Amino acid sequence: MASREKQLSALPQTSDPPRGRLSQLVGRLTYPFLRGEAPKPRPATGFYTDTTVCIGCKACEVACKQWNQLPSDGFNWSGNSYDNTTELSATSWRHVKFIEQFSDEKSSQGISLAIVPNEPDLNRWLMMSDHCKHCLAAPCHQACPTGAIIQNEFENVYIQADICNGCSCCVAACPFGVITRSDMGGHSHKCTLCYDRQRDGLEPACAKACPTDSIHFGPIDELRERARKRVQELHRRGVTQAYLYGDAPSQTYSELHSFYLLVDRPSVYGLPDDPFNPWLHMMGDYARSIAGGLAAIAALLVVVLLSRS
Amino acid sequence: MREDSTARQLLNEPPVAGAASEGGYANLPVTKAPGWHGMIAWDALLNGMATGLFMAAAVSELAAPAVFTEVAKLAYPVALVLLLVDLGLLVSDLGDSLRFHHMLRVFKPGSPMSVGTWCLTIFSLPLTAAAALSVLAELGWDFEWARILAVIVGLLPAFGSAAYKGVLLSTNAQPGWKDARWLGGYLTNSALLIGCAELLLLSAALGQMQATAILRTAFILLLVLNLIPLGLLFANLQPTHARLYTREEQWRVGVLIFAAGTLIPLGLTLLSGSLLSVFGSLIFLLLESWLVRFVYVKIPHTSPLEIRTGK
Repeated sequence: MASREKQLSALPQTSDPPRGRLSQLVGRLTYPFLRGEAPKPRPATGFYTDTTVCIGCKACEVACKQWNQLPSDGFNWSGNSYDNTTELSATSWRHVKFIEQFSDEKSSQGISLAIVPNEPDLNRWLMMSDHCKHCLAAPCHQACPTGAIIQNEFENVYIQADICNGCSCCVAACPFGVITRSDMGGHSHKCTLCYDRQRDGLEPACAKACPTDSIHFGPIDELRERARKRVQELHRRGVTQAYLYGDAPSQTYSELHSFYLLVDRPSVYGLPDDPFNPWLHMMGDYARSIAGGLAAIAALLVVVLLSRS
Repeated sequence: MREDSTARQLLNEPPVAGAASEGGYANLPVTKAPGWHGMIAWDALLNGMATGLFMAAAVSELAAPAVFTEVAKLAYPVALVLLLVDLGLLVSDLGDSLRFHHMLRVFKPGSPMSVGTWCLTIFSLPLTAAAALSVLAELGWDFEWARILAVIVGLLPAFGSAAYKGVLLSTNAQPGWKDARWLGGYLTNSALLIGCAELLLLSAALGQMQATAILRTAFILLLVLNLIPLGLLFANLQPTHARLYTREEQWRVGVLIFAAGTLIPLGLTLLSGSLLSVFGSLIFLLLESWLVRFVYVKIPHTSPLEIRTGK
């Protein structure tokens, strides 16, 4: 291993970094404008998360932190079940959610972990490993004024941190509360869907680590097929609440390349019930903005033209 | 086909509320508030002051050069100073200020921030030219045609610079902001109103009697006109404000905004066209404009009433 590192460090670099202050400044000013060749499109990939088999082990969180070298967020008791991660952040790209649904009378009689259909006072734990949804028409991607957020060759939403200038437009735009601006670097961060691993033909670290196959990774069409079969199977077995969240576009939002199999309403899992792409309002907002300005200019012009004589 | 869509619907149909157990994350906010605070309110105000002053001066000068050229020559350098302060705030509010220029590597019409950055950058060029040529004219080097050309060229990007801000702050997923359909209409209209008030102050300071008289009438008309988008904006935000503030708090702020932003400036302007009363009008108008922007920017950072009161 050490000899390999020596070999690598001995290899000539393709270009030396700029040395003088002026060349450093010029380099800093010009490099964002340099563009490499765009990679050829590859089959779209994504995640399908089957929450019915999630056991809340947080192996995905740990694998994500380890592979992406993300620092710890400290240890804070949240008081909310076993959820001490509390939210997705610039340094937590995976977040396992715990939902305890127990009625007082039932809990004294023991806890049933089975998902029983048509049971009004159900006793159960729901768990879900949350992460970036990699929306097909992602509001963060649309909002980004620097072009730092791109859809890569796998149709995953990816942030180029060296281009991001920390304007936070993406944070404001995300209806799922995924993207966060880091206090350390001032740039936005989120799940990359392990772009580096995918380019090397590996599956993302979280999917690799998941012991129950709750997190499925693969070509998006295959995942959809697999997920629909799973829902039908669950329906056959009496779990009629099972449904897919985000696998198909709605009237107000595109499909997600990371979609979920859920058994309760989306809001229970901290997901918006009806996600809305804010860009659907943009043209109307511009029209009202222009109308407001033109009305004022017209009023000013009328007074000036009528009064000048 | 029908069977197919029914089957698909079943696959994507969440349980009806109440049929399943509640709890979990149902009552927690889903979105994350961006780190946009008071500086953004000042930025929005200075943006309106700079672009509004330029547009008011340009429109007045082009429509009646004999009356407004003198005051316009003073207005352009003032607008440039205001714009530079605004740009300073805009840059320093970024997470990484040294990367402001990264926004100039692409032009994305679908991103209001990108449109705004380009409009402000383009606007700064003719504004600088108009300001510099106005100062040169005072020093004896008069290039009148070039100055007028710069003013005409600057009009469109100035309008764009004023118009993008509201769209930026309403085209997003933040609670309250996402419902503010009339924010852009209000901010652009308000920019012209503030610009007219600034121009009125400058003309009064220069002793331009005819310009002052015309601008007084225009200011009164614009004050009344601005109530329309302001009212529509508050109607958009009413459900959000009801969640965040008590009825009493809403009334207090509403009365303050109406009194400071409309009644007092209206009264002072009707009373006299003296420099002092015009100055007073502008100060009250700026106070109201800042308050509206500040209350708006605070929305995603304000806890809902039931959380704050512990109900």
